Amino acid sequence: MEQQTKIEPEVILCVKDLVVKFSLRGQELTALRGVSMDLYRGESLAIVGESGSGKSVFCKSFIGMLDKNGWVESGEIWYGGTDIAKYEKSEDWIRLRGKEIAIVFQDPMTSLNPLQTVGVQIREALELHQGLRGVAAQEKVIEILSDVGILEPEKRVKDYPHQFSGGMRQRVVIAIAIACNPKILICDEPTTALDVTIQAQILELLKQLQHKYNLTIIYITHDLGVVANVADRVAVMYAGDIVEIGTCEEVFETPRHPYTWALLSSLPQLGVKGEPLYSIEGTPPNLFTEIYGDAFAPRNRYAMQIDLLERPPYFEISPTHKARTWLLDPRAPKVTPPNTSIATAIERNARHAREVKKVFGEKLVEIRNLSVHFGNSRKPFVAVNNVSFDIYKGETFGLVGESGSGKTTIGRAIVRINPPAKGEILYGGKRISGKIGKELDHAITQKIQMIFQDPMASLNERAKVDYIVSEGLINIHPELSKAEREDRVQCALRDVGLLPEFASRFPHEFSGGQRQRIGVARSLIMEPEFIIADEPISALDVSIRAQVLNLLSAMQQQRGLTYLFISHDLSVMRFIADRIAVIHKGVIVELSDTEELFAHPLHPYTRALLSAIPLPNPKSEKSKVLEVYDPAIHNYTVDKPSWVEIRPKHFIMCNEHECALYRKKLARENGEA
Amino acid sequence: MSKVMTKMNKMSDEELFKFIEFDSSRAESTAYSGYSYWKSTFKVFMSRRSTRLTLYFLILLLLFTLLQPYFPGQKSPTEIFINPETGRQLRSHPPGAEFWFGTNTIGQDLWARIWSGTRTTLLIAIVSVTSSTVIGIVIGALWGYVRALDRVFTEIYNVINNIPTTVLRMLITYVLRPSIGTLIFAMCLTNWVGMAKWIRNLIIIIRDREYNLASRCLGTPTRRVIVKNLLPQIVSVVMLDVALSIPGVIGSEVFLTYIGLGLPVETPSLGNLIDEGRRVMMNLSQTYQLVFPAVVVALITIAFYSLGNKFADASDPRNHV
Repeated sequence: MEQQTKIEPEVILCVKDLVVKFSLRGQELTALRGVSMDLYRGESLAIVGESGSGKSVFCKSFIGMLDKNGWVESGEIWYGGTDIAKYEKSEDWIRLRGKEIAIVFQDPMTSLNPLQTVGVQIREALELHQGLRGVAAQEKVIEILSDVGILEPEKRVKDYPHQFSGGMRQRVVIAIAIACNPKILICDEPTTALDVTIQAQILELLKQLQHKYNLTIIYITHDLGVVANVADRVAVMYAGDIVEIGTCEEVFETPRHPYTWALLSSLPQLGVKGEPLYSIEGTPPNLFTEIYGDAFAPRNRYAMQIDLLERPPYFEISPTHKARTWLLDPRAPKVTPPNTSIATAIERNARHAREVKKVFGEKLVEIRNLSVHFGNSRKPFVAVNNVSFDIYKGETFGLVGESGSGKTTIGRAIVRINPPAKGEILYGGKRISGKIGKELDHAITQKIQMIFQDPMASLNERAKVDYIVSEGLINIHPELSKAEREDRVQCALRDVGLLPEFASRFPHEFSGGQRQRIGVARSLIMEPEFIIADEPISALDVSIRAQVLNLLSAMQQQRGLTYLFISHDLSVMRFIADRIAVIHKGVIVELSDTEELFAHPLHPYTRALLSAIPLPNPKSEKSKVLEVYDPAIHNYTVDKPSWVEIRPKHFIMCNEHECALYRKKLARENGEA
Repeated sequence: MSKVMTKMNKMSDEELFKFIEFDSSRAESTAYSGYSYWKSTFKVFMSRRSTRLTLYFLILLLLFTLLQPYFPGQKSPTEIFINPETGRQLRSHPPGAEFWFGTNTIGQDLWARIWSGTRTTLLIAIVSVTSSTVIGIVIGALWGYVRALDRVFTEIYNVINNIPTTVLRMLITYVLRPSIGTLIFAMCLTNWVGMAKWIRNLIIIIRDREYNLASRCLGTPTRRVIVKNLLPQIVSVVMLDVALSIPGVIGSEVFLTYIGLGLPVETPSLGNLIDEGRRVMMNLSQTYQLVFPAVVVALITIAFYSLGNKFADASDPRNHV
């Protein structure tokens, strides 16, 4: 930001009125509807948008990597004095691709060749693009590997991709991109497939590399936290068009487009417990049909008559900030934008926690020394190791951990998909793990329900919504007549905000958010007491998340439900969960009331998680200090760790030595307060 | 667009910049996809002219085979014709106006025998493929979905699969009296194993998908999970397999008859017609007795194969562009 004001920015890439179309199943889809944008040398630009907004297509059009059924209909892309949108031959693109503009994809495993060592793969790029040979190339490979933060690069050059962890693999992919010595680096969701702690490290690395190699970086992401962390400028895309573009501060602090308002205010991080989140109704438009007027108008609460008729032009707010909305027209009525400050939300939550003391009923679920093993009995993989906790009636219990921590396995052990190797699970005082009677089995099936992560995978594609929703009803109440069953299905669909006539359709006709609500309807029709929600929002778009979260909390209030909410995202948890357990490698390391956990995180892993979470706030993001958790700091050889209640209702896994340290720390923090 | 423009011109600025009421059903109905898997599969399948022609040809051929005896002027396939001049059997009469495909070595009408043989062979092929598919689906689905059965079924499969199928078929037809039933039994006994293994592999791929876990959480019984969740997903692959098995069965019927273990000569089948033709093949004036049945076998086999492969391409969602 400072650099930009000092030196007159030089445009490195200029896009004018780009229209990209795809032919899909005999229909024509307009993926980009006349996008214009300037990219300045040395900046990092973040393109934010929901799935289907065209952000990936936009960047792929710079390097001629559109899918074979797509083409540039009209418009210009100027790079280095030529209009590359006119390129037709693949030789033209090969001169540009990698050498000038390189791309890093989302999934590191699919972008590396599993049959070649990483050294060979980086070297190939060096030979092709920089013309290095022999010893010089080998030395350069090692230099680049150490640049991307891989320890002992001399040794690891000879390793294959599968010998690296997910985060390390992404570093190798970045190394290959850097080896081409590009001017522009496009990062397409570079950290979406990674855990939060790894994500923060990769973003840090990209920032360092940008400085060292003088790169211009375009980030494509749906995560506003990531944007706040890395971007100098932000472009917000909706339905194949950039609706707002400005510096990071301008877009986050004084957004002007109603879509940006809606996007920012529907963030779960801005929610206050007990109040519904702001949510954008509906789903993004279908790009097969021609869009008249403002594409966002049908979902816009500030829509005016003109929004339905004519497409708004760009209105300039400052030299760096412009937005495409009729609200900025001098003739338009004045509106006050909603408050999207995250600090106010946090403060209101803390007040809420102090003022409203939620009282919970008796213990509903008790988990006693649960262990779950996978694989054969000779060489078991311990997914969950000796875990105990209770869930009280009416509360939302949050289980937070990274991938492979065993959080999903615990949920699945409760619904009896993964049988426990040791320990037991009690529900309402009765044991439900192991062999149980038929009557109890029947009752448990009805009372415990699960909501799955991926709405695309969790609905049977070949069955109608009607069958999907009524499936459990057929099992539990076979005595119901067809008409009664249909009645209840319609009722359940209405409860989750879907139209009753959707019952006769197939799941593929719905968007992700609608599908997730069908999944919720399928659980609610059973009239359960306890719902396990396994990452119910992580596969959804930002604008859809709030809809699902609101639905879940409304159902909790209406029906007195108890939730086990499983997530990898601590910041979202803060506004959902009453109590949070943090799980690492199959062991729960810390458990406490939500506000207590955020105020006094003790275990180093909890602290690392908290520091790594990207918050949609550029000020705090850009100045944050990353804490890295290394399990080697625990010396558990002599002094064995145990489950200690360090303060009332605040549990932690530690040995005696650590416990003493934590106590001191708590006392100090309380003294300051 | 022009309509929109005129509408705009009519309105004043004040009207244009007035807020409109928020309609949530308008927001809800913005995204709607009319994609249907089977419709697209059918469309892609029928989009190629060669595929359409092959399909029409096969349908015509099957219809003709079925209806042939009811057409006027058709002869019985088993009647032995007598040469009125010599008073003896009309052996190896060359094709002509009276006997379209000529007669065989004992004076039967080859035209009638070929279509009767095609009926027999198709009957064997269709019945044995259908029944082995049904057995294969039931066993394969249980084998793939019910984990407890996996070990047992795999061991049984290993034992059965290690007996060469040809030897097994030969043994069965040798032990039992040769008849249509025996042949069907012999084909089923060996074919279902491959089918079951194939289905099991398909089921294992989709077994742990989330919607199956969801069904388990809802307490859906295994039988309904298999019928409602698993089989609809693999039905296109199974159809392909059926289409490709039919020529295979026809081939092994021909083979069994060829080595003398097939149907008796009284029941014409493509297998024994080809066998008869082979015996006189070297005599140039009688080569037609091999050529005609062989051409029919080739046409049916090729039609099934090519349609099966075209269907496989069409049923792949990646080709639904």
